[in-house]
Amino acid sequence: MTGRVEVELQNVSKFYGEDKVVDEVSFQVKQGEIFVLIGPSGCGKTTTLKMINQLVPHTSGSIFVRGKDVTELDTVELRRSIGYVIQYIGLLPHLTIQDNIAFVLQLKKCPKKKQRERAMELIETVGLPLSYLERYPRELSGGQQQRVGVARALAADPEILLMDEPFGAVDPVTREQLQNELLRLQETIRKTIVFVTHDIQEAFKMGDRIGIMRGGKLVTIGTAMDIVKERDDFVRSFIGQGAVFSALDTIPVTRALIRDLPVVKKEALVDPAQPAFKGWDYAFVVDDRGQSLGYISLAEMEGPQKIDPDKVEPLPSSCLPGDSLKKALEEMLWGSRAWLPVVSEEGSFLGIVSFQSCASLLAG
Amino acid sequence: MAESILSFLSYFWVIRGQVAELTLQHTLLSLAGVLAGTLTAVPLGIFISRRPKIGSYVIDIAGMLYTIPSLAILGFLLPFLGLGWLPTIVALTIYSWLPVLRNTCAGLLGVDPAAKEAALGMGATSSQLLFRVELPMAFPIIMAGIRTVAVLTVGITTMGALVAAGGLGNLIFTGISMMDNRMILAGTIPVSLLAVLLDKLLGILEHKASLKMGVRG
Repeated sequence: MTGRVEVELQNVSKFYGEDKVVDEVSFQVKQGEIFVLIGPSGCGKTTTLKMINQLVPHTSGSIFVRGKDVTELDTVELRRSIGYVIQYIGLLPHLTIQDNIAFVLQLKKCPKKKQRERAMELIETVGLPLSYLERYPRELSGGQQQRVGVARALAADPEILLMDEPFGAVDPVTREQLQNELLRLQETIRKTIVFVTHDIQEAFKMGDRIGIMRGGKLVTIGTAMDIVKERDDFVRSFIGQGAVFSALDTIPVTRALIRDLPVVKKEALVDPAQPAFKGWDYAFVVDDRGQSLGYISLAEMEGPQKIDPDKVEPLPSSCLPGDSLKKALEEMLWGSRAWLPVVSEEGSFLGIVSFQSCASLLAG
Repeated sequence: MAESILSFLSYFWVIRGQVAELTLQHTLLSLAGVLAGTLTAVPLGIFISRRPKIGSYVIDIAGMLYTIPSLAILGFLLPFLGLGWLPTIVALTIYSWLPVLRNTCAGLLGVDPAAKEAALGMGATSSQLLFRVELPMAFPIIMAGIRTVAVLTVGITTMGALVAAGGLGNLIFTGISMMDNRMILAGTIPVSLLAVLLDKLLGILEHKASLKMGVRG
């Protein structure tokens, strides 16, 4: 995340009369990043989101979108350049799906032909059949409607997407599906997304970074891992128990990988007294190309000797470098083992993860 | 019984030319009333839907006007507008205000807030919001108000006969003064049929417009 800053809030506040709904909030969202705002209801997260496209004008502070102060931009143009997805979807019931998707293009008075082409393109992007373009919103299920909602937000190809609890009104199974699809889509479209939710699991899953709000204030900002390590009482109670597991689900095993291991070539001469083997009960055996062959117990070796291929035991089970730490830990628990080898898809031995290495990641 | 029906029919046949002419007058007066009422009340309804405080007063006033007997309104307008079609159309306009105002207001206020928020969030200007989102979505309810008014107006137009505006009221009131039931019926039956017909016609128009705007069902 070294891209340019697309959205920036500097000490932004919102008053309704005497009520301070948003209190001196500052954050930056970089190009291609999903920034999640989360907090209990009434914490000001939705208000904060709506100030970015000025559906709610801010009282003080500054908001910059692509480097420009939003108060100096034409509000209508600003909104047309930002995609907007809301919880209650808000499809227009009197328009076909095609006209709903192309609504921004209609507002911008784009030619009909272009509207149609864009709608055809986008309905495929969100995984709905082309025939749905002629249908009306009420003929679609909630999940399908929200796909149309996402397609509509992408119509004008905005750099920035604002999503206000976009998957809050659909059932859990559909929600997970939509989350996965959005993440998959994000791989290719690389939009800058500000995402509001009240669901910490969703925040950990979707967010590159997460901002936790409380009573109008931004309490903390960080990655899922940073949030889990937070010692603040409110943050701890808000993310609740089990949050560690959700966070581990978002972290690849490579983050806790131990590479500094006794690795030996097959048929090599091994001396268990060598410093490299100190403290290890096992050595990992690879062939000339680094392909994993298994492991061998060092405890049974007496003095230097050549590795006996018959004594090399195959690896019990392993995980891929792309797997999450949660998956690796589950594997360890099922196998009653304190460690798990990490082997690439091509079979190269990369190292191991252990309870110890996971724990030190959390502590560090 | 059969004899009196026969006698009515033969009477009706004799005056059919007059009935046709009066029906045409009646229709034109009614349509003018509905049109004037719609053209004044829909914009006012849009205005007050955005200002609920003023709105409740406006609807109260329209309600008060609505309760004034039609004869009294015509009597009141007479010194200012004289005789003829003008006071009749003004009276019809006044009667149409309450239903159209109320339905326009209710229709606009009933538009799904999520749809409005989404449209605004996507960068609709306030006129785009009104014409592309709010009015199309409120259209069936506004139209229901206009149809109510149409039926009501055809009935009230009858009173126009008293200020020399013409229409089927001529037959009815002359019939009453001459105690001629056949003449009263020759005026009343076309009025009722006209009311039903106009309602159906507006129903068809509404359906056509809905299809064009995409509001289905």
